[in-house]
Amino acid sequence: MALLKYKTMFFTVRTVTCRACGCLQRVQHLLKTDSHDSRFLESLPSKNQSPLKLAEYSTYCGRTERYLSAVACSVLRKEQQRPISRFDFLDMEDIEEITIKAERSRYLRRFVLNSDLANLIVERLDGDLSEDNAIIFECNPGPGVLTRALLNGGAQRVVSLEGDKQFLPALQSLERRLHGQLEVVHCDFFKLDPIGRGPVRPPAMSSEKLFNDLGIAPVAWTADIQIRVVGMLPQKTERNVLWKLIYALFERISVFQLGRIEMNIFMSEKEYTKLTAEAGNLKHYQALTALYQLACEIQLLHKEPWSSFATNSKNGGYGIQRSSLTNDHLCLVRLTPRKDLFTPTLTAANSSTLVLMLKQCLTKRKAKLIDRLESWCPGSGAKLLRQLGLPEDILTGDVHPEEYKELFEAMEHSQDFSQSWLYEEVLENMNSTVSHI
Amino acid sequence: MSFLRLCSSRSSRPETLRELLLLPSGCHRCLQLRRHSVRSSELPWGFFRRNYSSIIPKKDVGKDQPCEKTRLLQVLEARMQQLQADNITEVKCTEVQFVNRINVTHDENQSSTNNLTFLPDQEFKKSLNLSTEAFVEEKIAKEQMGKKCHTEPVIPKTASAPRKWIEKLDKEKRNKTRRQLNIVKKIKESKESLQLSSTKSVTGAKTTEMGSKSTSKGNVAKAPVTHRARPSVMSNREAKSDALHDFSVEAILAEVENLDQQLINWEPSAKLLEDEEGNKYGDAQRNILSYVEACAFINDLDRAHQCVMFHHRILTRRKQLNIKIYSVLMQLWAKKGSLSQIGNLFSLVEEAGLKPNLGCYMAALECMGRMENCSPHVIERCFQQLKEDGFTIQDLFKNCVFHKDEREMIMKAIWAVDPEFQLQPEPEVEICQSPLVKHFYSKIEPIKYPKLHLCLEQLKERFDRQLSREQEDTISISSVEATKPITEKMKRMRNRVADLRAKWHKSLLQAFREFKFHLAGDRSCSWKMNLYPYLCLLDDKEYVDIMIQSIANIPPNGEALLTIAKELGNRIYNKYSIRKKIKNEMVDKIKQIYYAYIELLAKDTELNNFLPREHMVKVEKEMNLGLSLLSEDSPWPHFLIIDLGTHLVDLMVHEIKIPMNTQSPSHERKFIPVLYHMYSFRSNKQIGFIKPHPILTELLSQAAETTLIFDSCVMPMVCAPIPWTSPRFGAYILAPTKLMRCVEGALQHQLLLEKCKSSDLHPVLDSLTQLGNCAWKVNKPILDLIISIFNDKGSEKLEIPPPLSEAPHMPKYDPKADISPAAKSVLKKKIAWVRKRAAEMHSLRMDALYKLSIANHVRDDIFWFPHNMDFRGRTYPCPPYFNHLGSDVTRAVLLFAEGKPLGEHGLNWLKVHLVNLTGFKKKCSLKDRIDYADKVMDDILDSADNPLTGRKWWMNADEPWQTLACCKEIAHAIRSPDPSKYISYFPVHQDGSCNGLQHYAALGRDVIGAASVNLMPDEVPQDVYSAVAQQVEEFRKRNAEKGVKIAQILEGFINRKVVKQTVMTVVYGVTRFGGRLQIEKRLKEVEDFPKDHVWDASHYVVQAVFSSLTEMFTGTREIQDWLTQSARLISKSGSSVEWVTPLGLPIVQPYHRTRTTLLRSNLQNLNLQISHDATQRPDTVKQKNAFPPNFIHSLDSTHMMLTALYCYSAGVTFVSVHDCFWTHAFTVDVMNKVCREQFVALHSQPILQDLSKFLVNKYRYNIPADRKSKKLQDYQRMMELLSKELKIGEFDLEKVKESTYFFS
Repeated sequence: MALLKYKTMFFTVRTVTCRACGCLQRVQHLLKTDSHDSRFLESLPSKNQSPLKLAEYSTYCGRTERYLSAVACSVLRKEQQRPISRFDFLDMEDIEEITIKAERSRYLRRFVLNSDLANLIVERLDGDLSEDNAIIFECNPGPGVLTRALLNGGAQRVVSLEGDKQFLPALQSLERRLHGQLEVVHCDFFKLDPIGRGPVRPPAMSSEKLFNDLGIAPVAWTADIQIRVVGMLPQKTERNVLWKLIYALFERISVFQLGRIEMNIFMSEKEYTKLTAEAGNLKHYQALTALYQLACEIQLLHKEPWSSFATNSKNGGYGIQRSSLTNDHLCLVRLTPRKDLFTPTLTAANSSTLVLMLKQCLTKRKAKLIDRLESWCPGSGAKLLRQLGLPEDILTGDVHPEEYKELFEAMEHSQDFSQSWLYEEVLENMNSTVSHI
Repeated sequence: MSFLRLCSSRSSRPETLRELLLLPSGCHRCLQLRRHSVRSSELPWGFFRRNYSSIIPKKDVGKDQPCEKTRLLQVLEARMQQLQADNITEVKCTEVQFVNRINVTHDENQSSTNNLTFLPDQEFKKSLNLSTEAFVEEKIAKEQMGKKCHTEPVIPKTASAPRKWIEKLDKEKRNKTRRQLNIVKKIKESKESLQLSSTKSVTGAKTTEMGSKSTSKGNVAKAPVTHRARPSVMSNREAKSDALHDFSVEAILAEVENLDQQLINWEPSAKLLEDEEGNKYGDAQRNILSYVEACAFINDLDRAHQCVMFHHRILTRRKQLNIKIYSVLMQLWAKKGSLSQIGNLFSLVEEAGLKPNLGCYMAALECMGRMENCSPHVIERCFQQLKEDGFTIQDLFKNCVFHKDEREMIMKAIWAVDPEFQLQPEPEVEICQSPLVKHFYSKIEPIKYPKLHLCLEQLKERFDRQLSREQEDTISISSVEATKPITEKMKRMRNRVADLRAKWHKSLLQAFREFKFHLAGDRSCSWKMNLYPYLCLLDDKEYVDIMIQSIANIPPNGEALLTIAKELGNRIYNKYSIRKKIKNEMVDKIKQIYYAYIELLAKDTELNNFLPREHMVKVEKEMNLGLSLLSEDSPWPHFLIIDLGTHLVDLMVHEIKIPMNTQSPSHERKFIPVLYHMYSFRSNKQIGFIKPHPILTELLSQAAETTLIFDSCVMPMVCAPIPWTSPRFGAYILAPTKLMRCVEGALQHQLLLEKCKSSDLHPVLDSLTQLGNCAWKVNKPILDLIISIFNDKGSEKLEIPPPLSEAPHMPKYDPKADISPAAKSVLKKKIAWVRKRAAEMHSLRMDALYKLSIANHVRDDIFWFPHNMDFRGRTYPCPPYFNHLGSDVTRAVLLFAEGKPLGEHGLNWLKVHLVNLTGFKKKCSLKDRIDYADKVMDDILDSADNPLTGRKWWMNADEPWQTLACCKEIAHAIRSPDPSKYISYFPVHQDGSCNGLQHYAALGRDVIGAASVNLMPDEVPQDVYSAVAQQVEEFRKRNAEKGVKIAQILEGFINRKVVKQTVMTVVYGVTRFGGRLQIEKRLKEVEDFPKDHVWDASHYVVQAVFSSLTEMFTGTREIQDWLTQSARLISKSGSSVEWVTPLGLPIVQPYHRTRTTLLRSNLQNLNLQISHDATQRPDTVKQKNAFPPNFIHSLDSTHMMLTALYCYSAGVTFVSVHDCFWTHAFTVDVMNKVCREQFVALHSQPILQDLSKFLVNKYRYNIPADRKSKKLQDYQRMMELLSKELKIGEFDLEKVKESTYFFS
């Protein structure tokens, strides 16, 4: 207990230092927090789990301090620039409930509970959100710390998509206080347009319904970014979600019906490393890599250690996946679909062939490209390679994404390839790609 | 310098013993060697010697034992004092303690193994005796420890502690090897002179250089331990007491070495993969064994030898060798007559710490027989060794299989020593003691059983036909589509296909030879096992034929690479094992035995009071050919089969080409591959696929070839199958057949069967034999009808799959077309559906084509289905396509080959059977059913006379084709002058009503439950589903009154149909989750049920069904829960669940955690998922969920087998489809009586008590290592649960005998 107290104290002290320049109000607020905390601990003596968790949370705050110290000044600077924040920063009252709630959540999730971190994220997202007209989709805000930070950062319109019912009331009460600046929907962004046949129930949803409800209309692919998504990939299905998104992007279905959507998502460092592997890295340069590099600009906004995020993992650890790659951070990555992705030859209608082609090629990256081409259309592989200026013995893992695109376009123009089984195969593999319109 | 030679030289010069004792490492060994030398002065067999650890006294040393023991005590006491006096470092202290602990472990291990294998008590005592000396040491060491090792508390040793020790031992070992090197150097330097002198005096021991090197290594390994333990003694080692002392301590250390081995081997589930000799059959072992055997088959002794030597040389790999591998190699050398090599191998066996088995001695003796002038002394020495290992010469002839002239050679060797030697007549075979079959085997009255209506000569001729068919291993038959006329185009296309095949054959052959040459030339690392020997087993051409045949089997939309590879690999394996039998000259022996055996079954011979299996064994003995009826197939490991197959597929993908444009040959001839390899992505998994090019598919469909090529074992047999005489022989003559079918590569079942007492298996073997002995013929009129529909357009309604031409049409799809995304999506979905439908239709059509073609091929013949069983004892016919287990269509074309008159009640039974098949009168009494049949007799006769043109009454039946067949039979019977004398070949079925629940109800003696599944006699059949539905409805009413909303909504929706599937599957372990899904499905089918409530309603109903079932079958649920919980705890304790059926069949559940093996090949890397590897921990979820259904299945199979046996002795023809029993109409009454009697007899046994006892006995040694942990609680809970007595109800079992509808 003593230790715990100490930790709590540490936390408060830290906050003080952090916000040293802040107004007096905050200090009072802190005092209030302290009393809250002790009351909380007394009121829950039997539930030994929750205090422990909280303690952990406090420690993590302590730990973040170090990571954040570099950032702190930037935050300070910002606050100096904007003296009036529209809302109270963070109610500690909420945090307690929220922590308990977060623990009850069924699936492993990570939360941003620290307002510094939230501010940092907002900072990294963009200099000033108020100058941007795009709608921000926040995925699974949980307790809403980041939501507040976004709003404070000047966001014009935030749509919070929360999949877990228990967080909804708090978010909705916030929504009511805000006169339309925030909209809360019970929906999981990563479960939009499920593939299965059953009835679609929240948090799963069809994207069409969502956008109808929100009154967002599609724009042209080349138009400016209309929607910016901020969120964290669900850890267990990280890869699956990435696949689903890229399929949707290439076929321009699901959320990409609306045009280009900028995604600012936290993913594990491991996945980021794979996603940015260069051609020639035979181990990590995979179909998903090539597809993302082809379709999006990939930009690393920020790296944050796992420990900065609160988790509800059962064993109290951070629940980091084991991996042969370094995997110490969560990476905030911005994926911006390229304006020039679609050309007269590569359209949303035939892009699935390109996807399949890449998958076939990059499953075995040590195979020769010419063998693959020959198996699709006997006899024309060498010609095609010459046409593109690629060496004859090039391995599939050495070909750059743009070269694949060129190859695909060349194949589309070639007479020989029109009969290739590759086209039929696209139909065969369709079940996994096409879920809906 | 060879240490072995050192030893042998010493033993030949005992006077140097004193000198030798200067060298502490050698003394222990030398003392033993000296004892040997007293007995045999000549030592050509020096390398034959085995080392005995001193705590395993030999018989001949028995006299010295007490004396030695006291001396040992003294020595140890002296040692203790010494140790106390010297300042011993901590390291040594722990070392001694370590030794002590190991001893304790050893004792526990011993006792546990004893109990595990159910050895008789004497043996157990013996083993205790053996370790008395160890006890003495242990006591002393304990005292010592008490004084010195307070720091480390003595952890009580348990059987599962070894893991820690293994780690420790590993550490020790590493230290050891380091020191070893130093010491070897020292020895070399200091004792060089001694060695020189001893080298000269070596008389025998013609060990090869390499062998001796490793021997010396092994022996010296023990030395440093001693050194380290007692550096102080080293200084004054001249003293004799010290020398002896030395010896005793070393004995302990030697023991440690020994135990080290044992501990490493300890693993509860790993035991499953050991045979009686303790050979392990992990993948690695099986891989080497298969390799060596394949080399043996192609006479490539060099390769085999190198492979074994390579593994032997490297310590870590040496573990992968088992004694069987050595013995195979020895037998190879025996053929060459190279005794020195065999001797060498014996020393290697010893070095590997293995015990020679009979096969080794067989090889040695055979070799001696082959040598022209082998000295009798040598042979005698061999006999002596054999006896020391606990074998007798008689064992040799009892347990070994001899090929070619091996037997003569061995006799020659024996006669050289003992000209009087005669084989003892074997003792009478034991009789199965199970009380269930005691009466059956006691044969108080002369037994009678159904005889075949064929005479001896016919049967012999049939055997010859079957034999030649199996020797050819494939058979081509023409399909039923052959009747279609051949068009000009078809002819042209067929010619083209034939041309192409010839071309493929040529190019494949060349590629195959190149591939083989490449592998053979890979001598850079000659020890490395590659596929070369497996590619030499058959003619090159045969491999190519197999490949080309497989092309036609690839469906148009492709097949997973794994599947194709497996099929190819298996075909090669099958061919190889047939060849092996031919090569070993098994064929003639089997022929001789079969000819004598068949007299038993022929109609023109006398009955002789033997069962077929007994007769077969007796004949075999009389023939005096040694054991011939054992196949020595050692199955290839799964990954080897796949590996081989993948390589062949690789060749096919690269070599088989087709001209781009087959239509216009004038056009530029561009050749493209016929098969291509690609990946298919199924829910994030990528699967390697092989697809045929559309051009090929097109070509083949145009050619419409009508020849089908099958493996010979796919066809039913044309002679009576060979009776199962052991788990390793029966069914087909040459084609390998497993007694217990299992998942590919799961070996634990077979090993378990081989380990159990042969007499325990007799009832199972006899019932399988009997089921296989039933002869069949084809119901020609029905078959013709079916074929006519099949060749027309098929009929979905009558379950005759239509041809692909009837498939729905593929919509056009142009990816470039400009249509709305919505329309595109719909179109895509449609295309996907059409493709799926076409694939399904193709596979259904092919399946039907195979079945009908085989039936058509044997239409004028009599044939047999040999039987085997699954791991729970359920029986199945071996031929996969055409058998009586199949669909309505195949069942309808089968008739018994033997006819019996209908008799008094026969016609009525036919009528009942007909009504049962229609499914119209399920709830009526037998009389009502007969009346109904009489009422619709007009329809029946119309159906029989004009099946396709009449009123088609039969088409509306549940099982239309069988109904039609029955209609025809009834028509014939009625129209015959005297129906009771009408000879009927028609099988009549009797089904158990919800057989699983019947067994549960009988186990729990549930009164209500028993009544609802017809165990109680009643006027009309009870319907358990309706009863449950009624119960659920009452439950709902009560709740509705209380105001439960969902209960109100469900009003009027609960009926038999909703609950039926769930009730049926409850027995087979359906969970609430699965049950809910089933009910959800049913509710969704109900149209006016509000869709929004389906989820809640299904939740509610499944709850209600489960609780009503618990109410009705009080015992059932309790038993089921007990079984599930037991299995869960057993599995958590680290073992898979095993039990024995009341008939003595041992069963083990093959569910383990998945292990993946990566297989690299040119095409792709394959990940093999293996979930049955017994060395992995058990999969608790599967073990627990599967135990109740598997246990019930093992009971219903027992009931079936008992019924089969007693029907047989009553002279009744009997076959079964699990819980559906078939016989002639005439004998239905007899069968019904037997069936009920056996059910009562079975359940009169204390089945659950026996199971509980067995489980307690089996798993009480799974004591967890850590006594404090939660695991110990689990263990205690397990023991409590396993020994729990279940309450049972009041139901009087005898009533079953009077129940009409028990089976009906």
